[in-house]
Amino acid sequence: MADNNSSSSPPAKNQNPYPDGNVPSETESENDALARQVQESLSLAKRHKFWETQPVGQFKDLGDTSLPEGSIEPPTPLSEVKQEPYNLPNLYEWITCDMDSAEMCTEVYNLLTNNYVEDDENMFRFNYSKEFLHWALRPPGYYRSWHIGVRVKNSKKLVAFITGVPAKIRVRDTVVTMAEINFLCVHKKLRSKRLAPVMIKEVTRRVHLENIWHAAYTAGVVLPTPISTCQYWHRSLNPKKLIDVGFSRLGARMTMSRTIKLYKLPDSTVTPGFRKMEPHDVPAVTRLLRNYLKQFAVAPDFDENDVEHWLLPKENVVDSYLVESPETHEITDFCSFYTLPSSILGNQNYSTLKAAYSYYNVSTKTPLLQLMNDALIVAKLKDFDVFNALDVMQNETFLKELKFGPGDGKLHYYLYNYRLKHVLRASELGLVLL
Amino acid sequence: MADWQQYAQSIFIGFIFSFLLAKLISVVVSFREENLRVVRSDSPEPKPSPPGSESDAEGTTAAADVEPLIGEEKTSLTGDSDDDWEGVESTELDEAFSAATAFVAATAADKAANKVSTDVQLQLYGLYKIATEGPCGSPQPSALKMTARAKWQAWQKLGAMPPEDAMLKYIEIVTELYPSWIAGSTIVDLELFTSAATWWHLKMDAIHAFAREGDVENLIKCVESGVSVDLKDSEGRTPLHWAVDRGHLNITEMLVNKSADVNAKDNEGQTPLHYAAVCERESIAEFLVKHNANASIKDDDGNSSYDLCDSNWPWMQRAASQTA
Repeated sequence: MADNNSSSSPPAKNQNPYPDGNVPSETESENDALARQVQESLSLAKRHKFWETQPVGQFKDLGDTSLPEGSIEPPTPLSEVKQEPYNLPNLYEWITCDMDSAEMCTEVYNLLTNNYVEDDENMFRFNYSKEFLHWALRPPGYYRSWHIGVRVKNSKKLVAFITGVPAKIRVRDTVVTMAEINFLCVHKKLRSKRLAPVMIKEVTRRVHLENIWHAAYTAGVVLPTPISTCQYWHRSLNPKKLIDVGFSRLGARMTMSRTIKLYKLPDSTVTPGFRKMEPHDVPAVTRLLRNYLKQFAVAPDFDENDVEHWLLPKENVVDSYLVESPETHEITDFCSFYTLPSSILGNQNYSTLKAAYSYYNVSTKTPLLQLMNDALIVAKLKDFDVFNALDVMQNETFLKELKFGPGDGKLHYYLYNYRLKHVLRASELGLVLL
Repeated sequence: MADWQQYAQSIFIGFIFSFLLAKLISVVVSFREENLRVVRSDSPEPKPSPPGSESDAEGTTAAADVEPLIGEEKTSLTGDSDDDWEGVESTELDEAFSAATAFVAATAADKAANKVSTDVQLQLYGLYKIATEGPCGSPQPSALKMTARAKWQAWQKLGAMPPEDAMLKYIEIVTELYPSWIAGSTIVDLELFTSAATWWHLKMDAIHAFAREGDVENLIKCVESGVSVDLKDSEGRTPLHWAVDRGHLNITEMLVNKSADVNAKDNEGQTPLHYAAVCERESIAEFLVKHNANASIKDDDGNSSYDLCDSNWPWMQRAASQTA
């Protein structure tokens, strides 16, 4: 079922931020694993009335390797694509949102800030900034028609939103033009009206009109059927605030003082030649990244325009650093993170949790561990409270050592109209969606 | 002849059928039992949900199970264990242990009381089994019986832990969770145990817990019952260290009024003012400085609290220059 607020993962909290204590015992983790299995089998059994009608991997086909990899449905001739929008309940109407208009951007921002994804305990809610939305929704070749709003006919109030942006994504050896679907959000008061399925159908129709037949998306909930399931990890940068707002918990025998010392970082980066990425680095970074992403089963197929858009630093949106060899001036390593704050709900002292999310990282000369440690250092200097990372790509190799703790949030990856024979390990994924 | 064969055949099929039916019923019944038990004990318990805890789905099955906490089987350990164990009469330990189990049972039955997390419950269960039955000898339950399996694992992983250790550990955990049970317990007359070194040790631990949790009332009780206000825990921390660490200004004031040593050092040579500086507890640091905390005392790494202070507190600087 297309849950109203599920197009991204919840701002998951630290389950256990203390690498040196309170570590779940063997028994507990086994127990958890079992519970999770059963829980998962239950959610597998749950009916997904909407998704069962869609060209997506179905639960019943899990493990059936006789089905071929690739498109589930062939493209239909463009003339057969429905030309007019799907019907909405009478009081509502479709709009196309012009993200270049400041008012529209503000309307969208307000809808998301008050209604988008929350954690299970409703302590935090994603708070994507306007600059971020402007950036995320206007990559090279974007379609304005894919920025879809629903508003109340009378009041003109925006009450629902869904977007797509085009992307070339390589699945094993095939590069497929896809839509990356994101920011599905229905106003809290309109949940249960089953608006989400019609919104998904509408964005699908508009994607089809551009002769594009596949999509990629992520969600914190299990739908038919994840190509992979990842976990969020969190690295405290400002442990005192994280504990005060309930993002992390202090074990009874652990002192705040020692916790603060544990997460302390140096005041400056350690790798010689570590610097901010600049416009003239685009070709070198593109080469580095293309070469690196080859090893993953699913990854974006970035060209220089994409790199320029997605990875060139943008104040309070995306940060990118690279290592330029002091001798050869060759660009050898690269790391990046994006800025996604969360609103802290119901705390008197703090209103915003400033979180950095690991984006694309490439190491060829500098050990990844050292590179990411430098990323943590710059994130701390930029006053982030926490650095989040998924266990995708090679991230697992540095998470524990750099004092990340596993969160309680899972992120599931999905492809629309594309079947994979096997569920992928998180480390086979080379794709990060915003 | 053909008749007989037909008869035999139908009787045979009948047997198979009734066997399968019986099997099915027994499976259903046992499955129902297994699940009902979980459901039943689930409902009356408010869920333990401290922020950042495990997600509900993982928590409920085992967390809901009150039973491991309660001394379900009465035991008589008194006779056969060693008489003298680290200076503690085993009978006293036994009594303390049964008092702790009784307290836990009462707490588990009390809907209003704070509930503890699943892993702690499982830990208590394992220790209880070791204390009362010794090492786990039963076979591993099937993977489907999640609660039973988790409990079995909690017991089994403790291996051949001596029962006395298990009892002590059990009491320590309960004391950690509910420090007030020692100071304010009505279930057991604690004066009985104050002579026992171990018991004394536990009571001492409680003072740090009260300072940590900001429990003024019990902290005063502890001090008045004769526990030293500068008592150190295993890391050399005094109650004042803990109060400062957790940001309890009222406890800090109370301890200083009771003549706590403001410059007490922990095992790393840090004073409460070091803690206040690192944790950026401004009003507490100011209070400590006013009450003669020395900002230039160096810890084992050679840092004074002034060195560790990232904030720009003028009185901190003054204190450091005066005392240096």
